Amino acid sequence: MYFAGIDLGSTMTKVVIIGEDEQVCASIIRHTGAEHRRLANKVMEEALEQAGLPIDEISYLIATGYGRINVPFADRQVTELTCHARGVASFFPGVSLAIDIGGQDAKGLKVRDGKLIDFVMSDKCAAGTGRFLEVLSATLGLRLEDLGDISLKSRNRVSISSTCTIFARQEVVNHLSDGVPLEDIVAGLHSAIASRVASMVRRLKVEPDVVFTGGVAKNIGVVKALEENLGCQVLIPEEPLLSGAIGAALLGKELTLKALAEGEPIQRGKRRLEEATFFK
Amino acid sequence: MSYFMGIDIGSGTSKGVITRDGELLAYHLLSSGVNYRMAAQRLREGLLAKASLSPEDIACTVATGQGSGSVPFSSQQVTDIRCCARGINGAFPPVRTVIDVQGQSTQVIRLSEIGQVANFVISEKCASGSGRFLDIIANVLQIELEDIGPLSLKSDNPVVFTTGCAVFGESEAVSRVSEGIPREDILAGVHRALAEKISALVNRVGLEEQCAISGGGGLNTGLIKRVEEKLGVQLLVPPQPQFVTALGAAILAEEVARTEELSEAG
Repeated sequence: MYFAGIDLGSTMTKVVIIGEDEQVCASIIRHTGAEHRRLANKVMEEALEQAGLPIDEISYLIATGYGRINVPFADRQVTELTCHARGVASFFPGVSLAIDIGGQDAKGLKVRDGKLIDFVMSDKCAAGTGRFLEVLSATLGLRLEDLGDISLKSRNRVSISSTCTIFARQEVVNHLSDGVPLEDIVAGLHSAIASRVASMVRRLKVEPDVVFTGGVAKNIGVVKALEENLGCQVLIPEEPLLSGAIGAALLGKELTLKALAEGEPIQRGKRRLEEATFFK
Repeated sequence: MSYFMGIDIGSGTSKGVITRDGELLAYHLLSSGVNYRMAAQRLREGLLAKASLSPEDIACTVATGQGSGSVPFSSQQVTDIRCCARGINGAFPPVRTVIDVQGQSTQVIRLSEIGQVANFVISEKCASGSGRFLDIIANVLQIELEDIGPLSLKSDNPVVFTTGCAVFGESEAVSRVSEGIPREDILAGVHRALAEKISALVNRVGLEEQCAISGGGGLNTGLIKRVEEKLGVQLLVPPQPQFVTALGAAILAEEVARTEELSEAG
């Protein structure tokens, strides 16, 4: 038996296929974009091809993430909070607080024994999300993936006083015109995003293990700034983007095994590998 | 005959006026840039040239705005809240609530019976509560800022912006454009979103019957209509609304000079 999870995020679409032994046999990460949001099936087909499986071999397929309703071939939709908690607990069974910073939101998940018990979320403002770094890296003329390493060179990071991304952009331009070194500005931005997210997740009580996922967890500068702010070590999974998709696949396995044990039929969707009519 | 100068160095633009007996004689506006001191200098030169005066003709100058500390030729610095209140009181004495919509912030000021600041609230933490939000969407739609208000009034079906963030709002506008939604509907939506934020601010200081709008927002007919709809009152719009704060500074400069004269006279 095989199980698939597809996580349609605002920025990236992730697909994971696992076997009964919970080993990953395919994982794909693609930009969501305007097209991929409609064409989740393309990403799914790519994953099936990587695993060398036809879709009928997938016993259960769960869609999660911001765009989960746009997956016409899923058997079930599950919120990303549940899937993230499940996925993170599979990497770090001792997780107590999971922080996820994605392209358009930030979440804090309180987890006990692998189950979600509380959460905080921010998706109303770009500050404290990956978008903040996306906008400001463009202002600095830097690639998003280079920010982390650049910030590590900083000796004297600036303080960014604006919360708002738009106003921070102006502050960055002023720092540039004052001749402040790039690394000090970038380190200041990392500190700003970390402090915003930290103040949000503190509402959940910060206890180890603290795990950090989402695209922003790939930025070593934000990881360090978050550790400094929270005063504890922050654990990062090998592939921080995949926790939602892996969690979805694991939940699919649980549901299937439970149904089989109870002799219930497995409730599958229509499995139409076609374009979602997103805009209609 | 004495002349007075009000200099308002804002974060985006700098505005200045010259008055004589409370009458507006000359006004000038320029971009503040990164050097406020230079902006103040250029503003003074521009004003004096427009009024055909020399620096000695100015009896007193009051500076206000974020860069008020960078105006070496001013005799006093006064907060922009007080200057705005004074300016609107000069234009419309019965007004008790002023909505000042600027490029980077929005202030709502309540005035007392004698035209002094009774209470005020500032929104400056978030671009979506200021004129900047309109600026960003105008840029997405490739429409000049002065055209967005009138164009937004053509819409019967404003789009709803789901987040209160200017950055996310920008992406939402891009999505709506790609869906083929008419530009006027997108503009009407962003004007309404800003009007909602403004109305929340107004409710915090209390709305009084006589209400005026100043700042660059006072030039935008689309915004005025949406705010009026939201608040259920008609807004008074002064001539040259973006110069109200500078005008208030000049009126205060006259008062400063008069007080000094009186004290000299003993």
